[in-house]
Amino acid sequence: MADTEDDILQDFLVEAGELLEQLGEQLVELEHRPQDKELLNAVFRGFHTVKGGAGFLNLTPLVEICHHAEDVFNLLRQGERTVDAALMDTVLRVLDTVNAMFAEVRAGRAPTPAGAELLAELAYFSTVPSGRQTPSSSATPEAVDAPAAPEAANAPNAPAAEVAVDTISDAEFESLLDDLYGTERAPGAASPPAEAPARHPVPTTEKGAGTPAAKAGGGPTTGSADTTVRVDTRRLDEIMNLVGELVLVRNRLETLKATIPDGEIAKAVANLGLVTADLQTAVMKTRMQPVRKVFGRFPRVVRDLARSLNKEVRLEMMGEETDLDKNLVEALADPLVHLVRNAVDHGIEPPDVREAAGKPRAGTVVLCAAQEGDHILLTIEDDGAGMDPGQLRKKAVEKGLMDAEAVARLSDHDTFHLIFTPGFSTKSEISDISGRGVGLDVVKTRIAQLNGSIEVDSRKGVGSTLRIKVPLTLAILPTLMVALGRQIFALPLASVSEIFDLDVRRTNVVDGQEVVLTRGCALPLFSLHRWLVRDEAQVSVESRPVVVVHVGNRRIGFVVDRLVGQEEVVIKPLGALVQGLPGLAGATITGDGKIALILDVPSLLKTYAHRR
Amino acid sequence: MTETGVKADDSRIVGTQGRPAVRALVVDDSGFFRRRVCEILNDDPDIEVVGSACNGLEAVEQTAQLHPDVITMDIEMPVLDGISAVRRIMASHPTPILMLSSLTYEGARATLDALNAGALDFLPKRLEDIARNREDANRVLRARVHALGCRRPRVHTAAPAPVRTRHAVCATRVARRPQAVVIGTSTGGPAALQRLLPALREGYPFPLLLVQHMPASFTGAFAERLDQLCTIRVKEAEDGEPVLPATAYLAPGGRQMLAERRTGGVVRLRVTDSRPEVTYRPSVDVCFASAARVWPGGVLGIVLTGMGVDGREGARLLKAGGSQVWVQDEPSCVVYGMPQAVVGAGLADWILPLDEIGLGLARQL
Repeated sequence: MADTEDDILQDFLVEAGELLEQLGEQLVELEHRPQDKELLNAVFRGFHTVKGGAGFLNLTPLVEICHHAEDVFNLLRQGERTVDAALMDTVLRVLDTVNAMFAEVRAGRAPTPAGAELLAELAYFSTVPSGRQTPSSSATPEAVDAPAAPEAANAPNAPAAEVAVDTISDAEFESLLDDLYGTERAPGAASPPAEAPARHPVPTTEKGAGTPAAKAGGGPTTGSADTTVRVDTRRLDEIMNLVGELVLVRNRLETLKATIPDGEIAKAVANLGLVTADLQTAVMKTRMQPVRKVFGRFPRVVRDLARSLNKEVRLEMMGEETDLDKNLVEALADPLVHLVRNAVDHGIEPPDVREAAGKPRAGTVVLCAAQEGDHILLTIEDDGAGMDPGQLRKKAVEKGLMDAEAVARLSDHDTFHLIFTPGFSTKSEISDISGRGVGLDVVKTRIAQLNGSIEVDSRKGVGSTLRIKVPLTLAILPTLMVALGRQIFALPLASVSEIFDLDVRRTNVVDGQEVVLTRGCALPLFSLHRWLVRDEAQVSVESRPVVVVHVGNRRIGFVVDRLVGQEEVVIKPLGALVQGLPGLAGATITGDGKIALILDVPSLLKTYAHRR
Repeated sequence: MTETGVKADDSRIVGTQGRPAVRALVVDDSGFFRRRVCEILNDDPDIEVVGSACNGLEAVEQTAQLHPDVITMDIEMPVLDGISAVRRIMASHPTPILMLSSLTYEGARATLDALNAGALDFLPKRLEDIARNREDANRVLRARVHALGCRRPRVHTAAPAPVRTRHAVCATRVARRPQAVVIGTSTGGPAALQRLLPALREGYPFPLLLVQHMPASFTGAFAERLDQLCTIRVKEAEDGEPVLPATAYLAPGGRQMLAERRTGGVVRLRVTDSRPEVTYRPSVDVCFASAARVWPGGVLGIVLTGMGVDGREGARLLKAGGSQVWVQDEPSCVVYGMPQAVVGAGLADWILPLDEIGLGLARQL
């Protein structure tokens, strides 16, 4: 129950946020079904409800623009105007403006009033096209209306010649009031306002003065719509953290259990394990949001982009109801937008080109989300031009990213991953749409930070597919524990692709880099021991385990001393002393109570791989 | 709060505090608004929100199930809109309904439609538009819900001591033929006026000045609607226009309407800004007072249904000048507040059911 102004504001932000998201989808939908009465009604109500809430909170600029939009959709739903491209452009800009204001409100600032130009455009669309009957004042903005309209109504109506002659004097009005209420005028002045609109708008300071709302212990709001509770995500983070601690205790107990040969304890610990796992899933679920949250914005993105590039693009979305961690939903938004824009901009060809190639004029971009075990797989597929490995190779050499020989050795599949190299852009002229050559490598880095991976595949003339794999949650990390000397380190399991035993005698040195041939490919080898453990001579043995990790398109072998096993760990931030050390993502406590450092593979390679 | 306050007035309608709380149903498709309205209402120990609905259809179902004493109703809703919901509820489970509407021209038209469909009263969704601050606004909402909720089952309070019956009045007074009719009303007024004025025929010999408590943006639409319903002309009053017979002038919301005699004897209307000390805009008192000056002894003042006491002081001036005052009787009122205030002050010549006021007006021919 909302007790304070802040709670009321939060309540508004939640509801209006959802409505604005829906509006984004509905408006794009409207372009395909401009006559759909239900849809027009829904859009009208969307603006209407946002306006209502904004009005309650005295967010006047927001009220004003929503009010104008509402007017436009009122005409549309009454069939007095029809949807056309120009109107859609304006309305979409209005939605952008509303979203911007909304963001300001969310950030605790007062919303910036909409530009006069945009309001004028809206006013234009909210008048009935000539030749139809005009309802006299349908465009009067409500918020400004109450105080302003009387003045406007007053001025020009009386016959001009008479206005000046004798207006009712103040003295006369006063004497009327004296007649009515006596010279004291107590009753009139003291009686509470009930009906007539207040002449003076409420000063905003009064609003903040704390309304003692809902002191009566909250209302039995029984409607089906009110079965949810709003919880601060920080509280959920806290719970997640505690569950994390519980997981650590369970791990510890499991280790201890092995040392105590007691059947009862073993049973209890096993039970604890089950319950902990269930609890972990349950808590994770509370943080889950459907991926629709991110997908919802794509119809609009694709529509705007296609329009500005004069392309025809159809967007298909699948698996929007797939749930994933709220933090991930937010973190994935930008990279996904980038990739989708990329698909439309670089992937889909102009309609004429497509037609000439025997394809339908409209290109298709398919966006798909699916859960695979403890991962989410996101696919972005287009039926556009695809990528030309030859061109990519040429480009890489031109840009000085690789030499001709190295490029020639790359497989086609590996060539595609060149697009994630910093400084690589395949379009000759940089458009302002996507890609200034900084995009895709940033995307890759972001995904790697989420312990995810990105894969690309393409066929020239047929299209490209990007696959992003991210864990369901960021809070608990499945790892592979390895030992270097006496120390334990954890490698995120997501980046581990295989493990094998290395016969030390079969390694070669190429270009000063130790490599081993596996399945016909040279795998660079690095000794983690040499990088991370000091003052401890490595015992020389003939065979060592190698952990093969993949970082983007590269596969690398880490030589370790010993494999410990797979363990789910809770990431704990590093203390201030070691904070920011390259190559380390955090620390955790292992089952036997020791501290293990969690390795951050991309940053590890960046820091150490070039030092010989 | 003084004795003229909304609350004081309420308690007279209600009887005592001992009564069970008014059971309210809150209908709005916006969860945000539902929660706000619920909070405001639940703050009043005499009101209990028994349910909420997020569209018209749910509202109809919940009404059948919960039998609330009063319903607050939004207009724009998915599935079934507020006006249709009012129509269905009034057909199956007649319940006092308070519309919460927006102050736009469209909002006004929709609200008037809802009133025609049977809703009893309305308030703007932006409650601040009718009050000086949030607390006052909340108080207004609670008072209105409470007042409407108490209508069923109806409480017939004992009338204050010297109530003159219609016949007593008849016997003692000989009605002087008036020069102008001035009508003041609030809650329930739109429906009452729509019933009253169509009875007046073309060529009606007097002008009518109408004061209906209403927000600024509503009066234009309301005047248009009345004009369509009536044979006499009805318009929103404009500053400086001459007062003509067979025409009804509706006082614009947010301002004050006064009659004024110019040199040469022409009576014109003044539409002017209000003063902070006048609570209602437009005010029945102010209009009555100006009429009392312009047509001494020649006014028929009528106070119809409404909350509060606006009109009582104006009626006092009318009476002092020898004019007549009629008020609407309790059973035909949505809220017997303003008429009761006039009756209580001993200023009413006639206490009449609405339809008889209509007949009486028509007979003035």
